[in-house]
Amino acid sequence: MNEFQEKLVNFKWVEPKKTYDVIIIGGGGHGLATAYYLATRHNITNVAVLERNYIGGGNSGRNTTVIRSNYGIPEAVRFYQRSVELYQTLEDETERWIMHAQKGILWMAHGETAVRAEKARAEINTAFGAKTVFVTPKEIKEICPEVDLTGGGVWPIMGGSYHPEAATARHDRVNWALAEGAMKRGVHVHQNTAVTNLIKSGNRVIGVETTAGPMHANVVMSAVGGHVTGLAALAGLRLPIRTHPLQAFVTNHYEQKFHPIVASTSLLTYVSQTARGEMLIGAEIDRQPSYSYRSGHHFLQTCAHRAMTMLPFLRQLRILRQWTGVCDMSPDYSPIMGFTGVDGFVLTTGWGTWGFKAIPAGGEQMAQLIATGETPELIAPFALDRFAQDRTMADRGSAGTH
Amino acid sequence: MRLIVDGRPISYEPGDSLLIALLRADIQPTGGGCLCLGGDCANCLATVDGVSYVRTCQTAAKPGTVVQLHHTQKYPPLPQEDEARPAVPARNLFSDVVIIGAGEAGRTAAREAEAAGKSINLLDATYGEEAIGIYPGPLVVVRTPHETLHVHAQDEIIVATGAAEILPIVPGSELAGLLTRRAAEKLAQAGLDLGRVVAIGTPPAAVDCQLAAGELLRFEGENGRLHTVITQTEAGQENRYACDTAVLNLGLHPRNALLRMGHNLPVRAVGDAALESDIPACPNEGVVCPCEGVSVADLETIWEQGFHEMELVKRATLAGTGTCQGSTCLPYLRSFLLKKGKTLQPSFTARPVTRQLTVGEVSAGTHHHATARTALDAEHRRLGAQMERSGGWWRPWSYGDPDGEYWAVREAVSLMDVSTLGKMIVSGPDALEFLERLYPTKVSTIKDGRSRYVLLLNERGYVFDDGLICKESDTRYSLTFTSGGVSHAEMWLRDWAASWQMDVHILHQTMSLGAINVTGPLTKQLLAKAGLANPPGWLAHTKAEVAGVPCHIFRLSFTGELSFELHHPAEDSVKLWRALLEWGQEFGIRPHGLHTLLRLRLEKGHIIVGQDTDFDSTPRRIHHDWAVKLEKPAFIGRHAVERTNKIPLDKLLVGLEMADGPAPMEGAVIWHDGQFAGHITSSAWSPVLHKAVMLGWLHYFDGHLPETVTIDGRSARRVPVPFYDKEAARARA
Repeated sequence: MNEFQEKLVNFKWVEPKKTYDVIIIGGGGHGLATAYYLATRHNITNVAVLERNYIGGGNSGRNTTVIRSNYGIPEAVRFYQRSVELYQTLEDETERWIMHAQKGILWMAHGETAVRAEKARAEINTAFGAKTVFVTPKEIKEICPEVDLTGGGVWPIMGGSYHPEAATARHDRVNWALAEGAMKRGVHVHQNTAVTNLIKSGNRVIGVETTAGPMHANVVMSAVGGHVTGLAALAGLRLPIRTHPLQAFVTNHYEQKFHPIVASTSLLTYVSQTARGEMLIGAEIDRQPSYSYRSGHHFLQTCAHRAMTMLPFLRQLRILRQWTGVCDMSPDYSPIMGFTGVDGFVLTTGWGTWGFKAIPAGGEQMAQLIATGETPELIAPFALDRFAQDRTMADRGSAGTH
Repeated sequence: MRLIVDGRPISYEPGDSLLIALLRADIQPTGGGCLCLGGDCANCLATVDGVSYVRTCQTAAKPGTVVQLHHTQKYPPLPQEDEARPAVPARNLFSDVVIIGAGEAGRTAAREAEAAGKSINLLDATYGEEAIGIYPGPLVVVRTPHETLHVHAQDEIIVATGAAEILPIVPGSELAGLLTRRAAEKLAQAGLDLGRVVAIGTPPAAVDCQLAAGELLRFEGENGRLHTVITQTEAGQENRYACDTAVLNLGLHPRNALLRMGHNLPVRAVGDAALESDIPACPNEGVVCPCEGVSVADLETIWEQGFHEMELVKRATLAGTGTCQGSTCLPYLRSFLLKKGKTLQPSFTARPVTRQLTVGEVSAGTHHHATARTALDAEHRRLGAQMERSGGWWRPWSYGDPDGEYWAVREAVSLMDVSTLGKMIVSGPDALEFLERLYPTKVSTIKDGRSRYVLLLNERGYVFDDGLICKESDTRYSLTFTSGGVSHAEMWLRDWAASWQMDVHILHQTMSLGAINVTGPLTKQLLAKAGLANPPGWLAHTKAEVAGVPCHIFRLSFTGELSFELHHPAEDSVKLWRALLEWGQEFGIRPHGLHTLLRLRLEKGHIIVGQDTDFDSTPRRIHHDWAVKLEKPAFIGRHAVERTNKIPLDKLLVGLEMADGPAPMEGAVIWHDGQFAGHITSSAWSPVLHKAVMLGWLHYFDGHLPETVTIDGRSARRVPVPFYDKEAARARA
């Protein structure tokens, strides 16, 4: 047995019932977290999470596991900071090892305007509770000695922002800890159970048709990643979402030595080392919208090149695997959470490239919304009707990469 | 000939792979485990010339090769390297058919394709041509020891990669001295002495060996080396076979990852790669995944914990996620889950890379994303400019003296290279109608020879670019866009022209036309000297020669001073630039960079789309309602603007000035009575006004915009823009 084998989580699978108080479609991080917080914070346990494949098999198990709150608008900084803090205590709370590791993220600036942008990031972060400071090239070299400050002679590093609370955790283990925590308290999680339609009564959603038969509930929540526009259409909703692939790759395992997360908006890439010693390298979304999980060569080739620009030692590392997830992008690069205008149907979507870091806060807030019937203040700015109300949450700070 | 292993030279024979060379010297690269010599297992990995995780069986021995064995530490160290090295070369190959694998099946497929008149590329891993993945194209990316090949198939890709041999999973399978049947044959052929050999299953050809009877039970050994094979007969009796080498023939599983990766692409498999996998009996004990050290007992444990899906078993134990990517464990994971009552599970999702290559090797053939340079780039660098990437271009940030550059504009005359400006011509019978639908301004009221500042809106009514419309005639307009926005704008124009079926011709001239802005109160004197006696009036444009260069001259002003923009063929940029600089000497001319421009335009309150605007900037929010003519019947964004105009405003882009002290940083937070009230988008100290001036987003409080706010702990107040020369007397002089 290796040291990373899951030793604590124990799943007890049960047969589905015909009715629940709450049905959550999508057994990824957000669906499982919502169930977990419904059970632990509101004592609502007559809940089913329906997963068409296996839990955490979508983007919750494909992301690059960065947790941070250094966003560009107050509403986002506050929300993600809540998530950063919930993550910090999630191991103690669930008594499960999610491999949470605080690493700090360095965000490089390669020009005068980028220096201004990173200074502005530090400013807005600090004002709203996220710790971010501007750092000089010398300080960057101290935090990350491996970095080439000349940027291969092409992308010189003139400074950057440093967000010390940024962390990583093992994505699978987050999903499992939340799933188990919910199941222990009576929540049902049904794998290999695909939702094929919504059951409606007038303008109210009252249940779902599934490959395991119909199920009824007072509240149906979509926590679907990828095909969310199709699901929402069943409720009569047209979502402002486009789904784009996002790719990443890892190298083989190397000695644990590279501590921080290093990112660059200009180079559209970011690098960290996993607990198992793989160097993990990611990029921005593919431009062409698609549901495809197929990996691309152009991504691998260019992303490898850009990552080496900052970190030349990567050159000699052998690549183990590349993979692809899909991202639901909203027009303002912010998530969409809450009521939909269709009774009995709530959703959490638009998780773009920032879904993993939002899992605990997203789940906590959606659970509160379902339990109280009221939108919590923290997520009120992210309501679906903001697009109709001209109150979009334009966040250039999240229009980066991860 | 010798190579160096952990600092010690060893001899090898010509034609040896690194692994055979190591085995000749009685070195097991990873200390033990069954060797396959086919590039499938992870038991022959070593660090070779600084690159870790190299399969020594797939690498030819060369004199002086430096090999470091992995088994001395858990994971190899990260290499130390802090500067860029030369790129690995890439080469593109094209043919009708690409065949991966030059074994019998591959060669047959090659002959068939050639007989059918097809051109082929036959990739032979024996010669180091390792296919690492199949991608859309279809494209096969191939690693060789010297270069990376991008092999393109016009018709199809044929996967003839054969099958891997199933490795043993019993107690003791980590010992040294275990070989697959093919490995034994290769070693025998290379002349290695295998000692006493016991064969399990079909024995290897041309190797003297004893056949073991019964089912393989375990291996026993000493000091990591095999000495006995133990089998069990059907009657339950144990047989012990003393030996030096055990040779195993446990079945095959196809190397079909490339085939599976190429689903929905023209890819097919031939030969053993097309086989169904043998499913071995599920072992009772032993290490299933040697890469990650996962035993049968671990699988049982994780099953008991409720991990029942193949992917969950993999993710929870990490079996299959190591260097061999499941080549060893996959058949056994399938048999394990079959035993647990699941249906036969499909293989793991096939993902690149199927053979490993380095980050440097995979990056072959790419380049740094090019940042465009204007025709004057060398001039700026010669003048000592600090260059900055802006809007996809290299632009001069300053020439070393931002204050001097500033005063040259305000008091004398100055040049700025504005070649980066987006420039397009729209012409044709439908040009006017096209622009009317595209822009929120009344294009029909622009007279010949006149220009107008315009916004571009998207369908949601948000501003995404700005620029000028300059009318040349009813059927010909010259348009400008922001430097960073023109690529998108070009697609925008072409898409709409196609959607509306407009008879227009769109010509993108950004790269072919240079542009120099001549600005400052002495501009007319300079231009007169350069041969332009009658420059155009305010917001007019004309074509004339300046310094012998044919120019399209636009009168407008972003700096706030008298300005003429000279658009000209890019090949004449240097000539025009030098002439103006030379003739301008007597007027105190000096060029200015972006740093100065940003300050000049801020004093005039001119916005920069992208810096001062955001994704949600409606014309109303940025005080540009005047640029939108809702009385026009139709233009893009009209409905959205009409709709959002009815919603109370929540924030506005406003002018602000500090009561005293230096300019706050851009991005500074604006507070009002201790509450968040917005942020600064542009900020600078104004030398001419002796105060800090800003643009920023200010929020409404109960329907009112605050008059005074706090920035940086200091007081600031909201003021109308422009800050400087409110009557625009200087620009219109």
